[in-house]
Amino acid sequence: MLEGASLAVGDGQFVGLVGPSGSGKSSLLRAVIGLQQPLKGTVEREVAPSDVAILFQDDALLPWKTARDNVALGLTLNDVPRAQALAQADLWLERLGLAGFGHRFPRHLSGGQRKRVALAQVLARGPKLLLMDEPFASLDAIVRARIIQDVAALVDRERISVLLVTHDLEEAISLSDHIYLLSQGPRAHVTRDYPTPLPRPRDPVRARMHAAFAPLYEKIWNDLSREVDRRP
Amino acid sequence: MSARYAWARQLAALAIFVAAWETAGRAGLLNPIYAPSPGQIGAALVDLFGSGRIWTHLEATFTAALLGLALGIVAGIVLGVFGALIPLVAELLEPVMTLLNAIPRVILAPLFVIWLGIGIASKVALAFILVAVLIFFTVFTGIRQVDRRLVERVVTLGGGRWALVRHVYLPSVAAWVLGGLKVAVGFAFTGAVVGEFVAASRGLGYLLSFAQSTFNSALMMAIVLLIMVVVLVIFALAGRLEKYLLRWN
Repeated sequence: MLEGASLAVGDGQFVGLVGPSGSGKSSLLRAVIGLQQPLKGTVEREVAPSDVAILFQDDALLPWKTARDNVALGLTLNDVPRAQALAQADLWLERLGLAGFGHRFPRHLSGGQRKRVALAQVLARGPKLLLMDEPFASLDAIVRARIIQDVAALVDRERISVLLVTHDLEEAISLSDHIYLLSQGPRAHVTRDYPTPLPRPRDPVRARMHAAFAPLYEKIWNDLSREVDRRP
Repeated sequence: MSARYAWARQLAALAIFVAAWETAGRAGLLNPIYAPSPGQIGAALVDLFGSGRIWTHLEATFTAALLGLALGIVAGIVLGVFGALIPLVAELLEPVMTLLNAIPRVILAPLFVIWLGIGIASKVALAFILVAVLIFFTVFTGIRQVDRRLVERVVTLGGGRWALVRHVYLPSVAAWVLGGLKVAVGFAFTGAVVGEFVAASRGLGYLLSFAQSTFNSALMMAIVLLIMVVVLVIFALAGRLEKYLLRWN
């Protein structure tokens, strides 16, 4: 349960959101995209609903559609003619390093490849705001690091604002401009807002070697641990 | 032992079994009234096809089974979809279907003969009821288990109700129905043959009951063999269709 969570994502900003399990991080994203109504309060978007995209932890591709049909679906559902949608799909699959994999069904792709297809699917729609709910949690370390690099580069290039929910502090710090910390639920709220003193654009893997990384990590870690210990 | 040559060993075992059976038959160790030799069964089969009298029976059974199969699949899908989407329909339909599912449905055969006569209609009805109940449950439980994540995915991509039906529900239903197709084909032939066995003037089931009443076990076994071959061929065709349409799986 989330109460009094007030946070903002500025234009082109990459915002991280961390907090203990059950503090309502996922509910917040679901409220922003409209899958769930907040009991109280409002979600203010300066962008149209069709300009908001969400990436879940599981890739949730339609198993009976090929990679390119899955990517094209995000466009045809928004009245883009099919031929044009397929051309766009091929382009985005190529950008995500999946040229030549368009005709495979999700079952015949690796976990990392499926995640890339799901990314292509949301990015092809040209969103202004991208919500991510622990998108890379299920991937192994190398695959994950490389996808994160690609995501960082693509959202920079397309000037997409991002709200990233994650359990992984390293991931949050290496990607975000600033990070919100949610308190322990029930009645979770935003307790802290940490700016990340790392310049953008940046390579999220190299960012971990930046001098400011470790102190910030330790600070957020301590605050987060305190929240987790405050179990009701 | 390599699994690659399992088929060769199976075939060899079958050959030895048939040879032993034939030898025992010729040596007079088996009573041909109860256990006719493979040669006699083969002769009965050759006679059935040679005289051409098998075709009318094959045609009758195939027509009844395939009609029942098609009607059963359509009815099962329609009822399953309505049941899953409209609570009142589910409320009224579920107990009836559960009951029909619990009983051996072939016991309805005599009833269908009284209602529909000894013609093809009673066989179609039996094949139909066997298949429809099966498909109903496949679709009914399937729709309730549609992956919520896929639904949310299509909704967040901007899809409405129609997009959900077209891109999520219909393909899911098709997958479940195809997955149950082999079982449904088996049920359809069961329905047709049992229906014919109870009362008919044509069909493999009728031929079987004729063989029984004349104590012709060679003919009986020939027909059993024939039914096995027919169902295996149709299984293989259904398997091909399933494999092609579910190639994403």
